[in-house]
Amino acid sequence: MAWFSISHLRKTYGDFIAVDDVDIAVAKGEFLVLLGPSGCGKTTTLRMIAGFIAPSSGRISIGENDVTDLPPWKRHCGLVFQSYALFPHMTVAQNVAFGLETHKVPEAERGPRVMEALRLVRLEGFEKRYPRELSGGQQQRVALARALAMEPQVLLLDEPLSNLDAKLRLEVRIEIRELQQKLGLTTVMVTHDQEEALTMADRLVVMERGKVRQIGTQRELYERPANRFVADFIGRSAFIGGKVMALGQFQTSGGLSVACRSASVVGPATLALRPERVAIGSEAEGLPNRFQAKVVHASYLGALLDVQVALNAHDRLLLQIPNRAGLSEPRPGEVMTIGWAEDAGLVFGEG
Amino acid sequence: MSTIAPEAVAGGRTRLAGLLVVPATLFVALMLIGPLAILFRYSLNKFVPGQFMVDALVIENYIKFFTDGYYLNVLIRTVRVSVICTLACLVMGFPLAYVLARTQSRFKNLLVIAVVLPLFVGNAVRAAGWMTAFGSRGALNASLMGLGLIDQPLEIMYTENAVLIGIIAVNLPFMVLTLQSVIEGIPRNVEEAAFSLGANPPVMFRRVLWPLALPGILAGTILTFILAMNAYATPVLLGGPKFQTMGPLVYGQFAQQNNWPFGAAISFILMTATIVLTMTANFIVRRRSR
Repeated sequence: MAWFSISHLRKTYGDFIAVDDVDIAVAKGEFLVLLGPSGCGKTTTLRMIAGFIAPSSGRISIGENDVTDLPPWKRHCGLVFQSYALFPHMTVAQNVAFGLETHKVPEAERGPRVMEALRLVRLEGFEKRYPRELSGGQQQRVALARALAMEPQVLLLDEPLSNLDAKLRLEVRIEIRELQQKLGLTTVMVTHDQEEALTMADRLVVMERGKVRQIGTQRELYERPANRFVADFIGRSAFIGGKVMALGQFQTSGGLSVACRSASVVGPATLALRPERVAIGSEAEGLPNRFQAKVVHASYLGALLDVQVALNAHDRLLLQIPNRAGLSEPRPGEVMTIGWAEDAGLVFGEG
Repeated sequence: MSTIAPEAVAGGRTRLAGLLVVPATLFVALMLIGPLAILFRYSLNKFVPGQFMVDALVIENYIKFFTDGYYLNVLIRTVRVSVICTLACLVMGFPLAYVLARTQSRFKNLLVIAVVLPLFVGNAVRAAGWMTAFGSRGALNASLMGLGLIDQPLEIMYTENAVLIGIIAVNLPFMVLTLQSVIEGIPRNVEEAAFSLGANPPVMFRRVLWPLALPGILAGTILTFILAMNAYATPVLLGGPKFQTMGPLVYGQFAQQNNWPFGAAISFILMTATIVLTMTANFIVRRRSR
């Protein structure tokens, strides 16, 4: 049951289509992440939900209410900004109480609710501090507490972690996710960080050039990407150009014949292969697609070795070799046997 | 606010940096404090008609000012005009400054230039222009009477309203530019945060924008208030001889009456009134906004 939904949402600026016919339904308590490269329309979509941008067409509804034509201050969406946007002239407690005052919460109730919100983000004892006296991570938590205190119908997070340093980001990610689950908050987050999206979301919406490319869980997006863009954007894939010759038969532009289950529509197509699905050496034995490959480049990444190999002059692949004890690092020019199963490759038709 | 000297660059000659502030300091000291000290000394002298200025150490010039209703009236009128002009500049200037600060238009620079443009026209030239426009036979009255909208020419020139309009027009750009630079420093998303937290625009303005813009509001009002208190050309040309304010009064004592001691005393009264009123307003506003 959709608690919060966007239907046929569209935003145009002159000839430029920023958001094109976006349809999203979010269940109560769900954590949805809008993911995509910069300029894909994810932030515009979030700002339309918050009420800062009027959509060109389409509807937005929260709970029972159509909020499309409501101003931001009547939408009851808690919004956390990338830059936190705390009120610099107010203390932490005043910042958190702001939303309670505007919503006419009785004065006697405000104090306890401010304390409760600060306790949730583990900032007890900071009530009297000013935002400038806090670290970036603490400011971020105040911004979160401020949005939570007013008990929003929907929590909106606009790249909330991108101003934190890498280590803190990992902690705060989990904190926000735990808090969201504990409070059962319907949440929409915007991010361009794939890993962040994957760790936090219940479901993800992948956007590109104003359009939704796919909506699904992490597993669905990774294992059954709907198109080449998603296959490329979520995780890593090697792409080999070619064409589908017959059902289950793909021929690379280098002339290799590949057995592939998802090849169905005859015509020009692209084969996508996840690097970790490609087996090497003795592990490749018995697999239907087995080729000799020459190492082009190998990068040492700690836990993994990233290896680019060439099957021939046209076809290149990406492999990942776990860094196990006794591993001999492949050298450029070395030839190895690689192989993959029939269902490892995904074929996307052109256009 | 504390001023901190810039951090010395490695290998830099900090002495030189220190020396660089000397010319400006010296200039101000020589050209402002020196003459002021002399002026203050003059204000304690006696004026004897025919003898010009006689050395003395009396406060009779100050007593004369504060016991003569005419002069007191001039001071009160000047303060009233300045307060009205400053408030009008603030009320009209804030929305304009806000739009200028927040606009995404590519014509923003042109808009800013349009605000500054009036300053290219000197006060006297501008006031002279208004005389031709608003005089009893000026363009405005001629048009209105020609259209049959009025029978008698509107009395605009040589009234308090003429002076008010004139000073507001001169001071408005200063207010707008000061406010604009401060509002630009307030992130837009702080306003948006207030909206998303349930504040409607008036509440957002009162709770967020106004307190954050307060330093600019104070700077702008102080600037326009000082300019209005000391206005000279506008009250002389638009107010006429009967509408006296402090600036022309000082000039009159020096240039027409040759009464330097009294002129000096009026100068100090004007200066003190400006400083005291400015500081009081500043103090009250800052305490209120705590």
